Amino acid sequence: MSAEIEISGLSKVFGQGAGAFHALSGIYLTIETGEFFTLLGPSGCGKTTLLRMIAGFEQPTAGTLRINGEEVAGKGPNARPVNTVFQNYALFPHMSVRDNIGFGLKMLGRPRAEVAATVDEMLRLVRMEAMATRKPSELSGGQQQRVALARALAPRPRVLLLDEPLSALDLKLRKEMQSELKRLQVETGITFVFVTHDQEEALTMSDRIAVMNAGRILQLGTPHEIYNTPSDRFVAGFIGDTNVLSLAVASSGVDGVTLAVPGAGTLPAASLDGLTLLVGQTVTAVVRPEQARLCPLAEADLTATLEQTVFFGTDTHLHLRLADGQGFILRRQNAADEVDPAPGDRLGLRLARGALRVLRD
Amino acid sequence: MAKGFDVRRLPGFASVALLTIALLYVPIVILVVFSFNDSISQSQWAGFSMRWYETAMNNATVRDVSIRSLWLAGVSAGFATVLATLAALGTTRVGRFPGQTMIYALINQPLMVPEIVTGIALLIVVAFVKVQTGYTGMGYMVLAHTAFCIPFAYLPIRARLETLDPNLEIAAADLYAGPVRAFWHITLPLLVPGIMAGFMLGFVTSLDTVVITEFVKSAGQETLPTYMLGQIRRSTTPEMNAVATLFLLLSLVFVTAFFLITRKRG
Ligand SMILES: Nc1ncnc2c1ncn2[C@@H]1O[C@H](COP(=O)(O)OP(=O)(O)O)[C@@H](O)[C@H]1O
Ligand SMILES: [Mg+2]
Repeated sequence: MSAEIEISGLSKVFGQGAGAFHALSGIYLTIETGEFFTLLGPSGCGKTTLLRMIAGFEQPTAGTLRINGEEVAGKGPNARPVNTVFQNYALFPHMSVRDNIGFGLKMLGRPRAEVAATVDEMLRLVRMEAMATRKPSELSGGQQQRVALARALAPRPRVLLLDEPLSALDLKLRKEMQSELKRLQVETGITFVFVTHDQEEALTMSDRIAVMNAGRILQLGTPHEIYNTPSDRFVAGFIGDTNVLSLAVASSGVDGVTLAVPGAGTLPAASLDGLTLLVGQTVTAVVRPEQARLCPLAEADLTATLEQTVFFGTDTHLHLRLADGQGFILRRQNAADEVDPAPGDRLGLRLARGALRVLRD
Repeated sequence: MAKGFDVRRLPGFASVALLTIALLYVPIVILVVFSFNDSISQSQWAGFSMRWYETAMNNATVRDVSIRSLWLAGVSAGFATVLATLAALGTTRVGRFPGQTMIYALINQPLMVPEIVTGIALLIVVAFVKVQTGYTGMGYMVLAHTAFCIPFAYLPIRARLETLDPNLEIAAADLYAGPVRAFWHITLPLLVPGIMAGFMLGFVTSLDTVVITEFVKSAGQETLPTYMLGQIRRSTTPEMNAVATLFLLLSLVFVTAFFLITRKRG
């Protein structure tokens, strides 16, 4: 694999003087060729700004940006081998589906026959052959989405940028388009840079994810890494549900860390490299709700009192309270032969190995 | 608005509304009706006739001034539309710059300065230039009408531009169109309804204005409205009713076209 996009020390400041706003600060990022790469973060964290700088709609305040090894600073969007799928699609309303899809190739000066052939291929790819002569206003949201995709893919860009392309679709259509997008990416082999604020979408679709907040990248990794070994509290809280606990360090040494667990003994915890922990110090530790299970009290890692159960169809959430008053949620897959415990019951919990993780605050 | 409030229930609302409508339309209806009167009287109905229309049609002066009016309105509205389009692009398709509001106000001068003031100002300048250059052609009229029509053409064009999604031009740039081709393939075609509406409004404005023409025209440059004004001053004949009715019809056609164009895809 080779680097498709290399971003180094990139920052973007809007405005000047007292009103200056740092939308992005110190972004370092390498996106590999053929990768499905996702920028994930809450609204306003700078995802669109970063995407717009890759596309060339916005110039960075500082830093360098290379696409396929070539510095692109100062190049306009029409000089970059990159196409964008806009959040609101931005289809040309006065052109047919066919003309929309062919626009990029026409602007590149490709021969008519080649444009027509590619447009046909794209129509097939997004399964819109029957709609070729329609205007965008005569299409549903999902169909417009497909046309926007086809239009951006037709010139065969090296990189496709997608800014929350699915956020306007309803749930069922969104799921459909998720697998559609993944299929298109695999079939075309084009590098996708995908923006979303939906963590589930990011986890299911991406090869790698950059989690962003307040103009910075907090963590960069595969969906597994991001989910299983979040680097800090924000990432842990943003990706999936998690139990955040304040626990005291019981021991800290070469063979690992143990944390004091209220109403029980100590438990080994995984920690981040380079994090120095002092015995007695209170640290933030996280456990995913599905990494704890119920067990007989005698075998328990920790005990808790059940306050409430919430039924979710495939699973049930048990809202528990630990001996020292901290809340804890346990997720249990529903099985026909299981009886749910009743509120007020004292329950034993066992944690999966490595489930308890100490985080940077 | 408070639920259940209906202005129609206010005492006297209906009568005020009726009176307003009457004030707006009754004089016009009377004018139109008497253009078909088979008599020279403006108050005694003597039966239906098209004779005043025939008289008007056969009146060479009416024909001349009508043609001049249409020609002047077409040329002036054409120039005004081109300038207004550029002005609208210059005030919406650029980053914010100091004095933007000022420029907006300046473009709209004819909407703010009383027409008579503009008229007198033009009279002074044009009279001076006429003396200096000796040129007394239609150029002054075209210039004055063009300037006067610009804001009327500008408003619908600007309104249209403001409703255009700026992402469309960005998308065109993203798809390898340079600024000129993005304008030609995307902005301009989408702007056409606004441009047509601007032209219509400019055309009607030029067609209507009495004051600007009155102060700028040289001998033999009467337009339809100034000619009508001159005729009415001397004597009121049903022939002028007929001319006025035709004029009204023409105006209506353009104003209706304007509304149809602006309402589409509103
Ligand atoms: N042109 C601009 N001028 C000033 N502030 C901007 C501009 N564009 C974006 N911002 C600000 O930068 C921040 C990041 O915006 P954006 O990249 O759109 O976030 P996201 O796409 O993650 O929701 C926001 O706080 C936004 O208000
Ligand atoms: Mg955004």
